[in-house]
Amino acid sequence: MSKNTQLFTEEQLDFIREMMNIGAGNAATALQQLLQCPVDLIIPQVHVLPAAQVASILDNPASLVACVRMGMVGDIDGAMFFIVPEESKGKLLSIAEKAQPGLSKLAGQKPEDETSAVVETGNILGGVYLTAIHDFCGLNIYHTVPVLAIDMIQPLLDEALIKTSLQIQTTILIENEFVIEEHHIRTLLLIIPSSESVKPMIDALGQAKKAYGSV
Amino acid sequence: MAQCNITIKMGEGAVNTAPQIISSQGIGSCVVVTIYDPRRKIGGMAHIMLPGSNSVNGRGSPYHYADTAIVTLLGKLYSRGALLQDIVAKMIGGAQMFICSNGSGPGIGKQNVSSIRQILQREQIPLSGEEVGGSYGRNVEFYLDSGKVIIKTAGKKEDVEL
Repeated sequence: MSKNTQLFTEEQLDFIREMMNIGAGNAATALQQLLQCPVDLIIPQVHVLPAAQVASILDNPASLVACVRMGMVGDIDGAMFFIVPEESKGKLLSIAEKAQPGLSKLAGQKPEDETSAVVETGNILGGVYLTAIHDFCGLNIYHTVPVLAIDMIQPLLDEALIKTSLQIQTTILIENEFVIEEHHIRTLLLIIPSSESVKPMIDALGQAKKAYGSV
Repeated sequence: MAQCNITIKMGEGAVNTAPQIISSQGIGSCVVVTIYDPRRKIGGMAHIMLPGSNSVNGRGSPYHYADTAIVTLLGKLYSRGALLQDIVAKMIGGAQMFICSNGSGPGIGKQNVSSIRQILQREQIPLSGEEVGGSYGRNVEFYLDSGKVIIKTAGKKEDVEL
């Protein structure tokens, strides 16, 4: 086991996973409202891992993705990335367009910019995960205005990972799979707390565990 | 004989001879440096992550940092017979992927580029080509038979040759 995950006890790791499962449930509900159709959720994979290992678990550093970056501020600061692989992006956009014509081309956007639905989805999902953390741990975390970029996955993440990867640094990576109208839509959410935020997070987990008892 | 190619990851480096190809994928704010001796057809590549080894207490592989990566690469090239008077360098990468309005100083990409430029100057290695900056990721292939570097990007932009 790496140094990083030893920062957390096995029980705390379970707690984080549980918290993120709740987040995923909230995410499915939120997507259902946005897309106005049933959204099924496949149990998410939650990884708590050092920043340096994130690059190594990406299958292909050059795979094309849409990525929404949001800063985190509040009791925990850092950055969040909502990532949709290219093949899921197309499906997501076509479902979004059916549900809310115009969502994929919001007013004020250039006509060729069809990616507002991705930003909006990132915005909503980022928010519901932070709400899950708040509900469990009482930590108030807000995210800043989302910024979208479409490129290869590793370049999009490298700056955020590099800054932290050489320190012992915890990241939370959530692999979600939503089933919408028989389409499987895969998304990733990567939460990178700043190194100063790891201790408040551990403290809050300890407090939460007392409140909830063993999970 | 089948061509044996090498792919290096972030924070790695490799040195080899013609006719091999050294490649690296997914370069964002990182910078790939290639150093080549055209007379002996020996070349090396490093996928550098940070400007200086003193920036994060110098932990990790020497290829993580601009200063130690270039020195390590040069050492390996010399031990294979490359000569300082013949070698030339190229650098690729140093992008800023997300354009943020809150200007919090130069991004890590820019810092990497300027640090590498200084180190190459100090080591008296001419920079014979560069494709740096912008806000897009890059894949790089380094052909050791010619010293040619091909840069591919994810968008519709055409390949760039250095």
